[in-house]
Amino acid sequence: MSIRGPLADADRAELRRALVAIVGDDGVLAEPADLRVYECDGYTLERSVPTLVVLPRTTDEVARVVCLAASAGIAFVPRGAGTGLSGGCLPAEAPLMIGTSRMRRIRMIDLPNRRVVAEAGVVNAMVSRAVRDAGLQYVPDPSSQNACTIGGNVAENSGGPHTLKYGVTTNHVLGVELVLPDGEVVELGDAIEETVGYDLTGVVCGSEGTFGIVTAATLRLAPLPEAVTTMLAVFETVAAATTTVSRIIAAGIVPAALEMMDRTIVAAVEAAYHAGFPTDAGAVLLIELDGPAAGLPELTTRVVDICRDAGARSVRSAADEAERAVLWKSRKRAFGAVGRLAPSYCTQDGVVPRTRLPEILARIERIGARHRLRIGNVFHAGDGNIHPIILFDERDREETTRVLAAGHEILEACIALGGSVTGEHGIGIEKIRELGLSFGVDDLAVMQRVRAAFDPARRANPGKIFPTGAACIEQRTPRRQAAM
Amino acid sequence: MSIVDILRSDGRVSIPDATTRDVAARRALAIAGVVPHALVTPSTRAALATCVRDAAAAGTAVVPLGLGAHRALGHRPARYDLALSTRALTRIVDYASADMTVTVESGVTVAALQGVLAREGQWLPVDPPLPEQTTVGGLIAADLAGPLATSQGRVRDLVIGTAMTTADGKEVRAGGRVVKNVAGYDLMKLMIGSLGTLAVVTEATFKVRPRPQTTRLLVLACADRPAALALASRLAELDEVALAITLLDDGDTSPTWQCLLGGVAADVDVVTTRIRAAARAASATVAYDEDGAAPAAAARLAVARDLSRTAADVVVRAATLRTRVVDLAAAMRASVDDGARVRARVDPRAATVTLALETADAGAAIARLRAVATGHGATLVVERWPDALAATIDVWSPLPPALPLMRRVKAALDPAGVLAPGRFVGRI
Ligand SMILES: Cc1cc2nc3c(=O)[nH]c(=O)nc-3n(C[C@H](O)[C@H](O)[C@H](O)COP(=O)(O)OP(=O)(O)OC[C@H]3O[C@@H](n4cnc5c(N)ncnc54)[C@H](O)[C@@H]3O)c2cc1C
Repeated sequence: MSIRGPLADADRAELRRALVAIVGDDGVLAEPADLRVYECDGYTLERSVPTLVVLPRTTDEVARVVCLAASAGIAFVPRGAGTGLSGGCLPAEAPLMIGTSRMRRIRMIDLPNRRVVAEAGVVNAMVSRAVRDAGLQYVPDPSSQNACTIGGNVAENSGGPHTLKYGVTTNHVLGVELVLPDGEVVELGDAIEETVGYDLTGVVCGSEGTFGIVTAATLRLAPLPEAVTTMLAVFETVAAATTTVSRIIAAGIVPAALEMMDRTIVAAVEAAYHAGFPTDAGAVLLIELDGPAAGLPELTTRVVDICRDAGARSVRSAADEAERAVLWKSRKRAFGAVGRLAPSYCTQDGVVPRTRLPEILARIERIGARHRLRIGNVFHAGDGNIHPIILFDERDREETTRVLAAGHEILEACIALGGSVTGEHGIGIEKIRELGLSFGVDDLAVMQRVRAAFDPARRANPGKIFPTGAACIEQRTPRRQAAM
Repeated sequence: MSIVDILRSDGRVSIPDATTRDVAARRALAIAGVVPHALVTPSTRAALATCVRDAAAAGTAVVPLGLGAHRALGHRPARYDLALSTRALTRIVDYASADMTVTVESGVTVAALQGVLAREGQWLPVDPPLPEQTTVGGLIAADLAGPLATSQGRVRDLVIGTAMTTADGKEVRAGGRVVKNVAGYDLMKLMIGSLGTLAVVTEATFKVRPRPQTTRLLVLACADRPAALALASRLAELDEVALAITLLDDGDTSPTWQCLLGGVAADVDVVTTRIRAAARAASATVAYDEDGAAPAAAARLAVARDLSRTAADVVVRAATLRTRVVDLAAAMRASVDDGARVRARVDPRAATVTLALETADAGAAIARLRAVATGHGATLVVERWPDALAATIDVWSPLPPALPLMRRVKAALDPAGVLAPGRFVGRI
């Protein structure tokens, strides 16, 4: 049995002393005020203060901390920047939180081979920044990229606007250094593309911290595209915009990014940033094409034609890098603007096949109407990855109940249309119930068996992804959080 | 109880569908000289699951296969009672062309799948050896990356969902049919390259892509090997239009570079010009420059693609870092003694070197190649070797440091060790 609840005072003091011996005084947080910072991630509905937070600086320190936890039988929860949106690093069933915020070294940059080895706590955007002058980039770009960490990205298999053409985190991670829950350090994968043995790196990506602590990752870099065109297409209706998305994909064009914002979101963004979006439009699409320069004009023309055929009111290309930056800033900060629309909001993350976008958005509208809720949409349209944002006031208990019901119905609709309950935010603690919409008992049992190969005692991030039976969290209210 | 007893014990075990003990059919699926006791080819996924469950319950070792074209990969099975072929599972389950996804049963061949996709102007951008004999299940289980892998992604980047039958005879699913999905663990990755040792893949969903608007194949003939290798780094730097770049060095004719380009015509033209300039600078001649889809082009590409599956005593494949591949290729080639016939393929972007040898002393040749690979920090897979070496050969080297963890994964999914026992890395 492992210890999942809070520790007795004496045990806590002893654990603290032992941790200090490993990481030093400044690496252990034990004061209530310090610990409160760690009570939740971007999913703020549930909070739970960890007993202790430890911030190791090296893989060796992580291994010794984890060994210590193992010998004491204490469960732990890994934490990066805490920008997760599904409660992945909520310390609900683990007293000890292990944070990577002091592991920020890029250990190796190998430009000719286009490889980087980054420690888990390195912030996503720092990787691209470090290699930009050499004309390279690390492609996965979650909208939280200025805060979120490589360790968190690996754990969540994060996406971002530019994953449509280039793939998500797992497609760019060649190997990881992992501290198993018994304290053993294992190297999975390699800087060499064709590695020997099972693809354990591939299954660690998206394992949400339940396999141990990722301490470093070997990442593949890609050249910056020779040319980029960023367009803003304006539509009278959501249906026209989503039809355009389906038609672009069906035409065999793979844009680098294809993002949508509806009228509700555009209004909020315009009020906040004054970027010149038309507030009377039904929806806008942000379409980015990139690649070799010679062929780009032809692709651009084809996309413009598709937009016009589908009834676009206007299609405008960003004239220069500055204009492009404004468009992207508005898109990536859309969540920040939503706060002005309602006291609370709740973001869902679901996926449908791209041709079903018109249908899912119509359904979302009907679900909203039925529950008397206002819902805005800003999302990765090219991937079919929707993010409906439900606006409400969390002080209103009755309205809150309707928000929960609507969120669940939207995810059910995604499944009914052949999709998934999460495209990038993960199951965490938030969607444990919804995971059952996608998978049956046997499917989940096999996943649990794989987990047991890494973590037989279930001491790494217990209570996430899978129902535990014990602490089923029923008390749920929606949260105020980012929309992306 | 062996499979022979199972088949005799009428009614106790329901090995369904076409089960054959025909000697010729069984011999045709021998692995490293071991002939299975029976061959079963279930025609539904449910029948396959029943078959695995019953066989496993009886402790019968099951080796999953498609058409068997790539069964020389991997160690000799420790036990090989039943050959379980997915070749009768040939349904196209769902082809959502406008969504660019396709779901097929695992017995569909890559060639057949490409035929279906071509009707909608799409393709699965993979080019395994022998596509007519390669099933989708084999593509996944053997991780058959071809020359397209660098530009188009490897098999692991294209599979978005699978159904698989586990050793206890349950069909389970992972992933789904949408291109972006993080619900549950990514068990698809475990299947890729696992040689049937963890579960039997019964269905897979792939991301597919539009066929390039224009394709073009350029073949550059080089004066000799050093001249050819000197071009490697230039060609490796070409952009996304360069779908596949391979050096073919068959020992008989002068070494040639095959550059398959694809994309918008204007981009293809630009890259063609770059390649011609690089060729001129290296005194290579352009021996061929035509539409990449023309039969003559396809035939040339097939030679490079199938190199590892043509008649040879030994086939090895080494992988390293891009900056080391030229040295590795030269050193591997030099390590082979003069008496041997050698055909080589180098992929400068994937950083792989594949060698097919006809040699009287296979054991010695493998040992020398392994030493060279190790010296260059490369991994080595011996894809083919004479049966006589089966007991002692190390198919993979070096063994991965995480091998103990890999054994635990195997034990978690196949505790009784009934799926392709002994076939995998470290004889898992
Ligand atoms: C404004 C905003 C925009 C966002 N946009 C996107 C987007 O575009 N695409 C997208 O996919 N996500 C997005 N997210 C979600 C979030 O940023 C990602 O999930 C991110 O990868 C989390 O990284 P983190 O470092 O904050 O991890 P945390 O939140 O700290 O942790 C996330 C999970 O990973 C585990 N974990 C963290 N570090 C490790 C480690 N070293 N080893 C093992 N497990 C670990 C934790 O236990 C937890 O389960 C967004 C979030 C916000 C707030």
